[in-house]
Formats: sequence, C-alpha cells, structure tokens
Amino acid sequence: MKFKKIPAAALAVVTAAGLAACGGSSSGADDAVGIRVWGAEDDQALLSELIAGFEAQYPDVDFDIQLGVESESTAKDTILTDVEAAADVFAFASDQIYDLVNAGALADLQNYEEAFERYPGKTLDEIEAANSESSVAAATVNDTFYAFPMAGDNSYFLYYDSSVISEEDAGSWDTILEAAQTAGKKAGMVFSSGWYNAAFFYGAGFMTDLNPDGTTAMDWNGTSPEGYTGVQVVQSMLDIAGHPAFMSIADGDTANQIASGNLCAIVSGSWDAQAAQTAFGDGYAAARLPDFTIDGTSVPMKSAFGYKFIGVNEYSENIGWAVLLAEYLTNEESQIRRFEARQIGPTNLRAVATDEVQANYAIAAVIAQSEYSVIQKAGGKYWDPVQSFGEIIAQGALDRNDPAAIQTSLDALVEGVTAAIE
Amino acid sequence: MKQDNLSAEMTSGGFFSDFCRAVTKGDLFVKLSMLWMGAGYARRKQYIKAALMTLFEIAVIVFTVQFAMEYVPKFGGLGSVMPEKTFNIETMKNEFNDYDNSFQILLFSLFSFVVWITAAAVWMYNMVSVYRLQLMEEAGVRIRTFKEDLISFKEEKFHITLLALPVLGVVIFTVVPILLLILVAFTNYDQNHMPPGGLFTWVGFQNFISLFGGGGLTVSFGYAFVRVLGWTLVWAFFATITTYIGGIVLSLLLNSKKTRAPRLWRTLFIATIAVPQFVSLLLVRNFFANGGIVNTICANIGLTDFLRNIGLVSTSYIPFLSAPGWAHVMIILINIWIGVPYQMLIATGVLMNLPTEQLESARVDGANKFQIFQKITMPYMLFVTGPALVTDFVKNINNFNVIYLLTENVYTTTNQVMANSQAKEVDLLVTWLFRLTQDYYNYKMASAIGIIVFIICAVFTLIAFNRMIKGDKEGTYQ
Repeated sequence: MKFKKIPAAALAVVTAAGLAACGGSSSGADDAVGIRVWGAEDDQALLSELIAGFEAQYPDVDFDIQLGVESESTAKDTILTDVEAAADVFAFASDQIYDLVNAGALADLQNYEEAFERYPGKTLDEIEAANSESSVAAATVNDTFYAFPMAGDNSYFLYYDSSVISEEDAGSWDTILEAAQTAGKKAGMVFSSGWYNAAFFYGAGFMTDLNPDGTTAMDWNGTSPEGYTGVQVVQSMLDIAGHPAFMSIADGDTANQIASGNLCAIVSGSWDAQAAQTAFGDGYAAARLPDFTIDGTSVPMKSAFGYKFIGVNEYSENIGWAVLLAEYLTNEESQIRRFEARQIGPTNLRAVATDEVQANYAIAAVIAQSEYSVIQKAGGKYWDPVQSFGEIIAQGALDRNDPAAIQTSLDALVEGVTAAIE
Repeated sequence: MKQDNLSAEMTSGGFFSDFCRAVTKGDLFVKLSMLWMGAGYARRKQYIKAALMTLFEIAVIVFTVQFAMEYVPKFGGLGSVMPEKTFNIETMKNEFNDYDNSFQILLFSLFSFVVWITAAAVWMYNMVSVYRLQLMEEAGVRIRTFKEDLISFKEEKFHITLLALPVLGVVIFTVVPILLLILVAFTNYDQNHMPPGGLFTWVGFQNFISLFGGGGLTVSFGYAFVRVLGWTLVWAFFATITTYIGGIVLSLLLNSKKTRAPRLWRTLFIATIAVPQFVSLLLVRNFFANGGIVNTICANIGLTDFLRNIGLVSTSYIPFLSAPGWAHVMIILINIWIGVPYQMLIATGVLMNLPTEQLESARVDGANKFQIFQKITMPYMLFVTGPALVTDFVKNINNFNVIYLLTENVYTTTNQVMANSQAKEVDLLVTWLFRLTQDYYNYKMASAIGIIVFIICAVFTLIAFNRMIKGDKEGTYQ
C-alpha cells in the first residue's frame, strides 16, 4: 500500500526533469552583448563611470553590462565555487592568480590579440609595456599573460613615530627596538602570516615558487645564494621576537594596535595610513622596511609585493568584448581616474609619473619599498604551515642556541609547504 | 465483503511476490502492461488511468533518451573530453567543443538513477494494480471509476495526498544531495581536478585510506584527523554536560522560594539568547584576544606577571584563545555562558511538572533537599530530557558557530604537523571540513570527513536512544 504515493512523486520528478531538459535549449534571442562585472564595494561608483565610458566608445554595439559587488580579496573563492556562473570580468588580488589559473578560470589574453588590434588598435605587447615590469611579471604565469594590472600598492612597509625614532634609526630593527625600549613603547609586526614573515627569508635571498602542477617550491631549510642559512634567518627573527620592545600582532589586528597608542613603529600597508596618521600625529612617517642583522651583517627585508588585477572568465559568453572591457578598465586614463577617486597607486607607468601620484605620502613609501620586494609565488599549501611557523617564532617556542631544533622545524615547514595537493 | 477478501489475498504476500504473481498469472493485457503500461487499464475501460500511465511511460522514455543518455554512459569514468575553444573575431565569442563536466555528469547521472528507480517502482506497482483489476473483474466486483479514485485521495487515502509533497521535497532536496556528497568522497574532486577546467574520476577508497594515515603523501592528514576527532568528542562531552548541569542548577536557583525577583533574573539570562550568537561571540573573542581588554586588565592588576612567574604563561600576554589548553578551556567556559540559558528554559519547564506527590511523600519521610534532588528530581530530569541530551551531544559535535567564531583568525597552531594538514588543535571536524572546502577546495576529503562525522553521530544516537528507551522506565514515573 505504501507504494501508492510513488506515482505522484515520480510524475512530478519526471515533469521537473523534462522542464529542466527543455530549459537549456531556450536561449534568449536578443542580441545585446551581456557582460557581468564584479568589483570591490568601494569601487562601484568609479566602475559604473568607467563602464559608461567604455559603452560610449562603441556606440554601434548594444551592451548590457551588469555591475556586481565582490571584494577583490575573496573573488577567487566565489569564482571557483562555480566558474561557469561567475562574472565575465572581475577584479582580484594578485596572490589569487595561481589558484585561478590552476582551475582554468582565467582567459589566456594572447588568444584575443585580434580583438585588441581590430577595436582599440593596440597590441598586447604595447599593453604590457605600458605597465610596470614587475606588475606584468606578476600577471604572467607559465609565460602566459593572464590579467590586466589595475593597481600596485598592495604591500607593507614601516610606519613610525619620528618623535620617538629618528629617520636614521628607522633603517634597522636593532635601532628601532632600542629606541622603542628607551621610550617605553613597542615596535610591532605580524609574524604569524606567510605574507609578512616571508620578508626576512626573501631578504636573505631565499625564495618560494609555484610549480606547474600547483604545488609550491621552497628552499628555506637550506642555504640561500647569498650564503645565509635558514637557521641563521630564524635566529635573527627569534632575536627580534624575543626583544622586550617587540610586539607580535595578529593578522588583521594592526589597525587596533596602532590605535591603542602603545606602538611607535609598525609594519603594515597603505590600508593603515589613516590609523597611523591619527596615532602618530605630527611624528607620522613612513619608510621602506628596516634591515635586520644576520651574524653581524645588515640585510634589508624584502616585502611580498601584491597587485590588483582585472581578469576575464575563460567561460565568458561574450569573451571578446569582456576582454576589451577589462583592458579599458585598466588603461592609463582609468588608472588615473582610479587614483583621483580612490587614492590607489597605479601600475601604468605614465600614470605613476604624474605629479599627483608622486606627491602622495603612503604611495611614495610603497614605491620605495617596491625596489626591495619580490612577487610572492606560492600555492595553497604555503599559507598554513608558514603562519604556524611564524607563530612558533613569535612565541619564542624555539631556542636560538639550538640550531638542530630550528633545522628540524624548518624541514617540517618545507615538507608541509611543498607537499603534493592531495 | 468480497472486496475485503480480495485485498487480503492481494496484499498477503508482500509487494515483490504480488508483482511476480501478476507477471505469471496475469492475462494477456496484464502481461502487455509490462511493455505498454496503460494496457491493463485500457482493457478494464479505465481510459484516463491508461492515458496517464502511457504519458508517464513516454515521459520516462523521453527523459532517458533526451537527458539521461547524455550523462549516464559517462558515469563510469566521469568524462574524458577537456574543453577546447577557438575565438571567432566576427561574433567576438569563443566556440567551445562539447566538453565534459565531471560534476554535471555525476549530478545528472545520480538524478537519472533516482528517476529510474522511481519509474521501476511505478512500473512494478502498475503491474500489481492491473492484475488486481483483473481479479476484481473475474470476481465480479465493481471497479471504481477514476473520479471515485480521485475522491478517495481526500477521503481514506488522504495521508498519501498529504505526504506527496514532503516526500518529493525530501527526495530532491535531501536524498539526492546526500547521495551526491557520498559519491564525491570516492572521487578525486579537488583543486587540481576542478570542473569545468579539469576532470575528476573515481578513486575508490583512497580518500578514506589517506584520512586514516595510509596514504603516502598524506601522513599528516591521519595525524590531524585523530587529534581533531579527539577534541571534537571531548568538546561535545563537556559542552553538553556543563550546559546541562548549569541549566538545571540555574533553574533550581530561580525556582527556589528564597530567590527574589526570579522573573528579572530569568529575563536577564534569556537576553543572552536574544543577541545573535555571531555578535556576542565575536565580541567575546575580541575581549579575550591577545591584545584585548581582558588581557590589558590582567596586565594592569599584575595577573599576567603572576602567571608568568609561576610558569603558566610564557608570552607577554595571557593566550586565552591562542594557545592549546588555554583555548580549549576558554571555549568550553564561553559556551557555558552561551548555552546555559537554553538548558535553563528546558529545565524550568520540566521542574514545573515534577510529580508533587512524590516530593511530598519524600519530605514526609524526612528526606533532605539533597536526597530529594538526587533521588527524585535528577532521575526525573534525566528521564524527560534524555533524548534532548543525546540530540545536544550530536549538535555539539557539529557546533560550528562557537568554535569557528571564537578561533578563526585568532588561534594559530604551533604544531607544524597539524598546520601541514590545514588543521588546528581547536578545530572540530566540521570547522576543519569547512576550511578544507572553503579555502582549499578539497571537496573529496571534506566529503570523506563528512561521512565519518555522519557515521559517528548515527552510531552514537542509535546506541544512546536504544539504551534509553530499552526497559520500561516509563512506568517508574507514572
């Protein structure tokens, strides 16, 4: 008897399936070129202005461009949930490019060279040459150019209170910590993050790299080309972390700590410019990252430098126009407009050279830092082990006089980072 | 009367034997119904039913040919054609080949299986039904008209009408997704095999082997799994017990005649429920952060230095939520604050229904308050709230909110082996699973862990409920 209810259910299932099967074939017959764009919330007004400019450039084409909100820092997560349903054109932070390429979500821009030549009359080489070399390098994976650089100020440098720390003292961790201790203040940095703490290793000549299969290469447990060992770098980091005037800050907590008023120096980025200016008042100053000491030698830290890109979905329906729109949103005029509207540092060389950009305080520090920086290439397995390692150092859980234990810990780190993606 | 005998005869042997009897003993039209589902009905002049069954059969065949055949044949390997495209400058569009999407193949194949199983059941039921019509005709019983059949769905068969929609909903929204997730656990669906750019395929029990430490590359996964599982169980036990006892104690206090303004106190405690958890938990997380207000106070009153001197703390702050041990205890304590009001409400309700005659006679017999609590109140509480206690335990195994909101971005593990598996000491299986899918797209491992969580919860619930319901304890309290 209980099977009686099945016919009704089955009929409904079959009807639903039939509808679903038929739904696929009934594509809309209107010929408007539909493009969906995702950008940061704060960028919406600017983006709609730029999109209007793009539409005005091609009056013959009937565009239907939809703008949506998606933070650049989480774009990857949303896109990879369902690539075919994601936006056609989207802004994202440069560290996400490897996962996006790995998942086949980003369009290879070389394929659309013809479209650039026919419409805006540019070649891809010209577009690449217009932007800073390092930003183009960051947008290139396995010799393929995957995204248009939009902004180049995503890095960290040193904010300090010049009434406590002199400009000269700000050049080295030793002098910063000494001055801070004398003043009864602290100098802070995020140690438990693979983005920040890698600056010590990059400074000493170590590297991380991304293999074609998506795994990460790392040499931190060996000896760098400069002749420093990983153990020596860790010992220097332990010296800094163990100094009474040093404060290890949790990732994402920098603004709070600046506001607390206990700090006289902090490693952070342009997003904290406002907080630092308020807290340090007249003493507010910014400089490139300080040097640190390995075995008596002074070594500059090298920051991981990040960019903001605009990429195009590989599965975009109107991919030709989507690529042209992405290019338009990142060209010289658009980058200048973006700087005017949002104080975001450009990557376009001509935009960088304008007087307004050159006069901006925080961006000047970023540009100084960019000479001591690397493009961080790392896969998904990099972050957790390096974060954990940074926390171990920050808590002083390793003994600087026990090189064997440090080496073991470094080996475990490299093993975790370089592990295959299972 | 005759009809009753007939039904008794028909339903005596169970569905499958009925079906076999229909196939073997049915007349020509009943047998023809195996091919044309409407045949038997048409023969008994049930033309509307015949048409409906024919339509159903056509729908299933169309579905099979048009939809299922596109996916099901690829189910064995989950697809092999990678996307390829050429750019057409005239249309400004890419022209794609007909590429495979492993996930779609998996999903739509599964859906097809569900439809087919349903269709097979309908087909078998149809056979039984038309054979029964044959018997009725032979016995000379009047066959109901279609209209009468329809009316019966709001009379004696009303339960079927009521259940049709929920059953359909459960199948589409619960059964299919669960089966899909179970299937994913046997594939290599992860970051490197992500549709549409890549294809994934079956790997058998490989993911479960990795989970338990058998895989070559994933030694750390097994290590992390055991520790995360251990903490999950410890957490579920303490979170359940502490809030349960806390709730009872609190409601006893509030119910005591000596308590003044019990309503005021009750309202205050319920206010904790009124504030959304993620607001209160994130605030508490900030209070107890390494540089948070509690740490500042502790440093100012000298508690931090005291703890440092006796060796409990090695950092310049108290790692309330950022060191193993400390964080474990803190999480359970904070959970008491969050969870006790709920238990208090339940306990208050139960205490109000305590059999007063038993309490009276105990008092007359000279039992003191503790004895009454131990011998009457507590056993009664346990009896009434036992099933809720089991549910709470299972809920706490999957208590995502408290753990995630209190530890995300605050707790950094210093155990490198755990970190190599993206796990932390304070992770529950669900929070670990969440991070694996959200940050690392490791769907296959997440599915495998999900199945394990399900098994643990199911086994525990079964055992606990069986124990609790076994024996006629109910009589004790009547």
